[in-house]
Amino acid sequence: MIRRRFRVGLDPVLVILVMAFSLMGGVGVYSAAEPGSSGLFIRQLIWIALGIGVCAVLVSLDYRLYTAYAPVWYCGGLVLLVLVLIYGSEINGSRSWLVLGPVHIQPSELGKLAVILTLAKSLASMNRRNPGAWHLLKAGFLTLVPMVLVVLQGDLGTALMYIPIMLGIVVVAGLRLRILVWCLLAVLCASPAVWIYLKDYQKQRILTTLDPELDPQGVGYQTRQSQIAIGSGGVFGRGIGQGSQSHFGFVPEIHSDFIFALLAEETGLIGAGTVLLLYLLVLMRLIGIAVESRDRTVILVVTGVVSMISSHVLVNVGMTLGLLPPIGIPLPLLSYGGSFTIVTFSALGVALSAQVQSYVN
Amino acid sequence: MPVYQDNSLCRLRLKWIGRLLALLFLGLFLKLWHLTVVDFTQHSVAAERNRARTIPIRAPRGVIYDRDGRVLASSVNSFSLVCYRSEASNLEATVDYLVQGLGLDRQNLKQRLAVTDGYSPYQPLVVKKSLTMAEVAYLLSRKGEHPELDVLAEPRRSYPYGELAAHVLGYVGEASRVQLETAEFSDFRAGDIVGKYAVERVYNRHLAGRNGSRKMLVDSLGRTINELARVPPEEGAPLELTLDLDLQIAAEGQLGGRRGAVVAFDPRNGEILAMVSQPAFDPNRFAARISRGEWDRLVGDEHNPLQNRALQSTFAPGSVFKLVVALAGLEWGDVDPNRSYFCGGGVTLYGHHFRCWKKGGHGSVSLREAIRSSCNVYFYQLGKSLGIDLISGFGHAIGLGQPTGIDLVGEVAGLVPSKEWKRRTYRQKWYRGETVSVAIGQGPVHLTPLQLARMTGILATGSAAPLHVARSRLPGGPPARNKSDIELSSDNLDLVREAMWEVVNRFGTGRAARVNGFDVCGKTGTAQTIGRAGLSKLEGAQASRFIANAWFVGFAPQKFPEIAVVVLVEAGGSGGAVAAPIAANILQVFHDKRDPDRMMEMARQ
Repeated sequence: MIRRRFRVGLDPVLVILVMAFSLMGGVGVYSAAEPGSSGLFIRQLIWIALGIGVCAVLVSLDYRLYTAYAPVWYCGGLVLLVLVLIYGSEINGSRSWLVLGPVHIQPSELGKLAVILTLAKSLASMNRRNPGAWHLLKAGFLTLVPMVLVVLQGDLGTALMYIPIMLGIVVVAGLRLRILVWCLLAVLCASPAVWIYLKDYQKQRILTTLDPELDPQGVGYQTRQSQIAIGSGGVFGRGIGQGSQSHFGFVPEIHSDFIFALLAEETGLIGAGTVLLLYLLVLMRLIGIAVESRDRTVILVVTGVVSMISSHVLVNVGMTLGLLPPIGIPLPLLSYGGSFTIVTFSALGVALSAQVQSYVN
Repeated sequence: MPVYQDNSLCRLRLKWIGRLLALLFLGLFLKLWHLTVVDFTQHSVAAERNRARTIPIRAPRGVIYDRDGRVLASSVNSFSLVCYRSEASNLEATVDYLVQGLGLDRQNLKQRLAVTDGYSPYQPLVVKKSLTMAEVAYLLSRKGEHPELDVLAEPRRSYPYGELAAHVLGYVGEASRVQLETAEFSDFRAGDIVGKYAVERVYNRHLAGRNGSRKMLVDSLGRTINELARVPPEEGAPLELTLDLDLQIAAEGQLGGRRGAVVAFDPRNGEILAMVSQPAFDPNRFAARISRGEWDRLVGDEHNPLQNRALQSTFAPGSVFKLVVALAGLEWGDVDPNRSYFCGGGVTLYGHHFRCWKKGGHGSVSLREAIRSSCNVYFYQLGKSLGIDLISGFGHAIGLGQPTGIDLVGEVAGLVPSKEWKRRTYRQKWYRGETVSVAIGQGPVHLTPLQLARMTGILATGSAAPLHVARSRLPGGPPARNKSDIELSSDNLDLVREAMWEVVNRFGTGRAARVNGFDVCGKTGTAQTIGRAGLSKLEGAQASRFIANAWFVGFAPQKFPEIAVVVLVEAGGSGGAVAAPIAANILQVFHDKRDPDRMMEMARQ
């Protein structure tokens, strides 16, 4: 049974793309890791292997299991988010990690997947063309609860990434466009009020994105150094392991949030451009799966996965290119980090499982 | 559960999202293209600037020798403590560590580490120079705890004789920001060691050499990854001075810590053989970065040890000036040297009584006798008959009241007054009585010892060779002044020389300057430094002891002079008693040194 599914349904292009990414991620982290301290590299390889394993398991199971048990994942996610607030360890200023021996779990990343499944299930079950006020309120509430918990951890960036997930699912579920427009207008009007509640360093980050010369040594430093790294890569790059910006500590968080800068410095426009293209192909492939599916749940789950991956790529790459303020958002499949790697592979697994299932139907 | 099964809207929306994503990715790609292609050069340069740091390797300064090749200043290896401020995680802790371990002054150290002028944070900042071996050991043993500190081997200026000839050699130090903006130091950078004074400064370009550099690959914390390129430093060129170490030592010793100056030189070619100014300073203290307190002490010292009294200070020449007046009279005033004036211990001129130094008077004195016994009354009369403008004009003609143009810094002009000068400066008429004072070297006339040396040289040889301390004049030194532009009659010169010989050898005022077998000619001076009113408050002997500057100028031998010497002892008392013996001693050393040569010559004949 399982074997047949693999043979018949699995999208080979997507599988190859995902494998390519895993390889690039490994090479990237390998290059970023300090010579001699291969611990980081090996750990990431383990994460990737684990991710592929989880992905394989998820693909082989019926996707309906995932949506059916969505409330379980959701409640489990909330429990973890509460636990992290109580027992979490603070790293880099936010209390986002549950430390279990050698494993650091980031519940805020796991929560994204739970929200995708929950929203998809919730909105797929509505019996009308456009979601009504009740559905919207419910969706909003379901997203807001974990978001608030993540904000409480002090990780505003990760919390913000819940919004595009919800937005994508709600829009594809048929949200009336004028409601969307009204919401956007409301956000625009509310933004000055939000500004007041931002912390000083957050304001600084936003301001320096608008004008990078504002503070080249301070807040603008990261962005400036990242741009230098990318720009100095040129068309062909400086070669794997040859990027001085990446290797001598000029670009911060090079193995995680700024790994795209390393890729661009060492492989140039060609390498970094190819990565962007590959992302786009993965996303288009996923959209293709959703469009071909007759099951609304599949459409919405895949939409959620597309929203999650695309928003992370856009925000992360936008940040390294200096288009957006620096927010600590990982680049899917490439950045170092266990939780998000597992979550991304799981999301892909769920999507692929849905695709395989639609072939079976 | 009834489920709405028409998914066409979902598909439509999804396709639109796909198009939107494609558009956004295109935007990212365009920005990526812009950074890597359009702004490639700019970013490459920025990355290179991040990556490579150039650290200078200091060139050792050229050795300074005396005329016989003995080392007066050299470069020695020393260890300096440097701090890479960009690497310090906690400067407070660094300060604590250094205050505790090396006993540095906390306030000073903090200021030092806060310096930003012209320094990049990646440039090593010298915290302490000339570390002792114990200090080096202390620092190296704790290197791991303080990666921001490092010990570098650097050449340091060393003056083996300490204070000896300090005012000729000068001192070195880090170029100040103000200096770096001047053309003189245009080739130098912040942190470079440059000459700050005297020979070190005048011949700085010659002595400095060329710094080398190391281009280092560094990480974002400024830590060295490896060395990319190295340009070795070029040692500075050696410089030979005209100073004679033996004479210099003798002169320093003879002055013996008393305030004053000594200049000895070869009147034939203007080579300075010895130049002393006391109190002096130890230039080694500057080479190892002088402390704030010590600098303040030196600058604040009322006796100004940093000043070269031989050319940066002016003094009333006293009776030494009588030589100028005498020669002026002979050359320009048609004075009959045999005409005598009567000295009865004083004379009343223009309603004012002017005294001779000898209460009983000298009786009837000719010019020669007046020089020998330094009779004031004779020169009062002579000055009166010549007038101030003739004296002033002649003084200027033989180079007084203007810098000699020696290759040292800070030389001042001094003053030989004239009617024009008084009108210009004070908008007052010249009083004829003032001429009478000037005639014996008092009143407004004040000169540097070096100018009197030049004058003595003219008396000795009839012409003025340009004074200099560097063996060969190099670019960078001030332009040499032309020789004295007046022709002096040898008869007149001989007459003055004969009188000067008698000063030393025929019971004149300068008999203490006598050297056996060496025909010394000279003239003493005892110059009052305060007016008669102040003088009267002190008792006789004490007065001259504390108030008068003791002078002696002279040359030897009388025929074909080889050395001229000027001695000034501030508040030393009488020139004959205090200054003349110093000159005698220096001349004796010179005579002893030249004797073997002479014997060789004689043996050859």
